[in-house]
Amino acid sequence: MAEEEDGQAKEFKLLGILDVQRTPCARDAILHGAGGSVAAGVLYFLATSRVKRSFDVGFAGFFLTTLGSWFYCRIHHAKLRVQQRLIQEGIKNKVMYEGTALDPTKNPKSEAPSGPS
Amino acid sequence: MAHPSQLGFQDAASPVMEELLHFHDHALMIVFLISTLVLYIIVAMVTTKLTNKFILDSQEIEIIWTLLPAIILILIALPSLRILYLMDEINDPHLTIKAMGHQWYWSYEYTDYEDLGFDSYMVPTQDLTPGQFRLLETDHRMVIPVESPIRVLVSAEDVLHSWAVPSLGVKMDAVPGRLNQTAFITSRPGVFYGQCSEICGANHSFMPIVVEAVPLEHFENWSFIMLQDA
Repeated sequence: MAEEEDGQAKEFKLLGILDVQRTPCARDAILHGAGGSVAAGVLYFLATSRVKRSFDVGFAGFFLTTLGSWFYCRIHHAKLRVQQRLIQEGIKNKVMYEGTALDPTKNPKSEAPSGPS
Repeated sequence: MAHPSQLGFQDAASPVMEELLHFHDHALMIVFLISTLVLYIIVAMVTTKLTNKFILDSQEIEIIWTLLPAIILILIALPSLRILYLMDEINDPHLTIKAMGHQWYWSYEYTDYEDLGFDSYMVPTQDLTPGQFRLLETDHRMVIPVESPIRVLVSAEDVLHSWAVPSLGVKMDAVPGRLNQTAFITSRPGVFYGQCSEICGANHSFMPIVVEAVPLEHFENWSFIMLQDA
C-alpha cells in the first residue's frame, strides 16, 4: 500500500481493489455494512440459536446494508456536486455581470418606472 | 500525468472524466460486494458437513441466482448508458482544432479565425530540461482556453493513430481518410499529457500529446505569437 507524499490519506484497498480512504462514501458504506452485519447476525442467533444460519444472515445483512448505505450516500453526493457546480457558475456569473443588465442580484422593483403622481 | 507504478485513473480535469471516475467507483463497489459474496460462498461450501447426493432442483435458489444478477446488471447499466450519451454531447464549441496523426508526430490546426498550424514532436530524452517528463513532453503544446468547450477533429495522414488524453477522458481514433469528432471542456488550468493509443509503427510510443489549458487572455497572446512565428 503506497503512502502519499503530499499528506493525503494513505490508501487502503479492501480485497486489493476498493480504496476505502479515497473513494467518497466507501468507508461509511463498509462501516455501516459491518454494523448491520453484526446486528443482523446477533439478533438472528439470539432468536434461533442457529450458528451457521446466523453467519449467513449476518453476511446478507452486510451485503444489503453496504449496498443501501452506498446508494444513499452516492445519490446525496451527486446532488451536492450538482449544487456545487451551480454555485460555481453563479459566483462566476455574479463577478462577470455585476452592475450590468444581466446581474442576477439586481432588484427588478427598483427598475420599474414610477407611476403618475 | 500518471505517477510511477500508478494503477488507478489520473485526477479528472474535465466534467466527463469526473463522471467516469464516479461511475468507476460505483462499478467497483458492486464488484467488491460480488467478490465478498463469492468468497463467503466458497468458505461455506468448503466448511459444511451437509451433503445431499439426490438434489435435482431448488426453486428458491434458482430464482435468487436469476433475479440478483439481472438486478445487478440493471444497476450497472443505467449509469453507464447515462455517461455514454453524456460523452456524445457536443454543446456549441467555442473552438475547433484539427489533430492530425503522422508517423510519428501530431500536427494541430487552428483554422477558425486565422490559419494557424504547427507540428508537435516529442522532446528527445537527451534534450530534456530539469523538471520535464521523459517520453511525454513535446516541443509545441496544444494550447486551449480553460473552461471553454473545445471540439477536436481527429484524423491521420498515413496509418492509424489514436488521440488520447486520460485526464480529460478523451480518446479518439485517427483514421486516414476519416474525420472523427470529439469534444471536451477543461475544468481547471493545467498541462495534461497523453500518448498515441493505436499501434502505428516503430515510434508509436514516442509521439505524445500535451494539452495546455490557459486563461483566454493567455491563449490569445499565445496564438498571436504563434501566428507571428509562422
